[in-house]
Amino acid sequence: MEKFKKIISQYPFLGFIIAYLVLLCVPTIFFTDLYQSHLSSLIFINIIVAAGLNIVKGYCGQVTVGHVGLYAVGSYTAGCMFMYLGSDLWMTLPAAIIVTGLFGIAFGIPSFRLEGPYLALATLGGGEAIRLFIENGEFFGSTYGISSISQPVIFGVPFDTPDKYYYISMPVMLIAVYFSYSILKSSIGRAFMSVREDPISAAASGIDIKKYKILAFILSAMFAGAAGAVYAHLPPGYIHPNNYTVIEMVTFLAMVVFGGLGHIWGGIIGAIIITIVYDLTRPLYEYQLFIFGLTIVLTILFMPKGIGGFIDKIFIDKRFKKKKVEEGK
Amino acid sequence: MLLKTKNLMKAFGGLKAIDKVDFELPAGEIRGIIGPNGSGKSTFFNLVSGVYDPDPGSYIEFNGHDITNEPPHKIGALGLSRTFQLLRLYQDMSVINNVMSGYHTRVKYKFFDAVIGRKKIWDQEKEIKDEMMELLSFVGLADYAELNASELSGGQRRLLVLARAIAMKPKLLMLDEPAAGLSPVNVDNLMKIIMQLKDKYGLTLIIIEHILKVVMDTCNTVTVLDHGQKIAEGTPSQVKDDNAVIEAYLGKKMNDEEMRKALAV
Repeated sequence: MEKFKKIISQYPFLGFIIAYLVLLCVPTIFFTDLYQSHLSSLIFINIIVAAGLNIVKGYCGQVTVGHVGLYAVGSYTAGCMFMYLGSDLWMTLPAAIIVTGLFGIAFGIPSFRLEGPYLALATLGGGEAIRLFIENGEFFGSTYGISSISQPVIFGVPFDTPDKYYYISMPVMLIAVYFSYSILKSSIGRAFMSVREDPISAAASGIDIKKYKILAFILSAMFAGAAGAVYAHLPPGYIHPNNYTVIEMVTFLAMVVFGGLGHIWGGIIGAIIITIVYDLTRPLYEYQLFIFGLTIVLTILFMPKGIGGFIDKIFIDKRFKKKKVEEGK
Repeated sequence: MLLKTKNLMKAFGGLKAIDKVDFELPAGEIRGIIGPNGSGKSTFFNLVSGVYDPDPGSYIEFNGHDITNEPPHKIGALGLSRTFQLLRLYQDMSVINNVMSGYHTRVKYKFFDAVIGRKKIWDQEKEIKDEMMELLSFVGLADYAELNASELSGGQRRLLVLARAIAMKPKLLMLDEPAAGLSPVNVDNLMKIIMQLKDKYGLTLIIIEHILKVVMDTCNTVTVLDHGQKIAEGTPSQVKDDNAVIEAYLGKKMNDEEMRKALAV
């Protein structure tokens, strides 16, 4: 086991290949109906968004509430490209990532001067503006949304049902998580954290604060864009402005906060749990928002670093105590 | 000269926090800066390290580069490191991450290597971690590497801040009250570590300190600031006997008549 751990820490790529192989087998073994595949795809999409949000919110500490706007930009880039150019996922995905990245710059610029709640307000305005712009634009299908967006075809096989689309969304998710892992584990992740903790002493250590703030926004926007494009093509391929409201944003935030702000797996743990809970509690529709709000508040009060941080803390304390005991002997 | 300021000025509104200070520091020296509270010592640090922009007409040169209006991260990258009076630790990061983020300017790999996660990243990260662990064990914090910085005691925090400032392998290290709030034993221990680090990395030091024993024992030269002006400079023993310095700290020497006048008013 120790040896295995060592190999993985040297070649993290291997870990993701193993995860890929495991996830490939999951549907055939466990899934009994199409809905489970559909739900898994939703989980994967949410993981991509949450992993991105964790970069800007958890690691870089910039409070953004407009992320759902970027998600919408990704979706509608894909949707419009399909509607006007007839492109499929292989074209719309990179395009959505690039376009959303550019929007990320616009969201990041206010962070140079605004902090905390003020930045939250600015980004909230940005996100809502995007949604309203889409809702009122004929070009974007206004309130009708865009429907029957095509599913990708590989070697003549259309991936047009939820159980097949699983095999599209899953690798995209794994690649996104891999990127987020390697970014956050490198010196870039540490620079993000030090910008979050103390910008002045970060600058004294030679870290360019503005560069890393805008970088965090661009990267997380790219994740949101990728997720948006995958969502747009999700069978039955229907997107509507109502999918990108503040309510969705609260859900994304709940994922990151619950999973663990600034924890490398935080967004992923949170996305899995919250998406499943969200789905199971659909009959209690009226109370969902209340429950999610309460979850965020309680998590911040009693588990400020979320599930991920909580588990980490237990292990670290254990190791520290063990070391102290060994020294005592 | 490693660090040179000419005509350095900074005014906050009407208050001249630093008033035409000329300062020269040759490489390898240990320089002490003393002065009463509010005399501009910390402002001097903030100006040199780029936290504040100096007023027009000032000139700061570091290691041959004009850094007068450079942003702090560029000055840091040139090899000027500093600590803060209020520490400014990264509270919510582990001790090892605190030190490793100080290494930032020396990281060799490029941005896209990190995004793709190439193997050389993980190799280099491991090297950095080993080197930083060595530094941590040098200052005596290796056991605490995984804990959050907020869980350390006051003395350990001071050591951690020192280690973080050293991690970037600076040419010049500016310490803003490194021993504030420490017990006499801890002060001696800290100064010993600082001196060992100085020899190990060939540092030049500027130390702001209120504990005069520290300044008198360790510094080659002492600069005294008062009301933003440099009022004396010289070896510790010279400065100790300087009239202007005594006046700044203890007040003016008065004869009987002057005293009566002052009291009558």
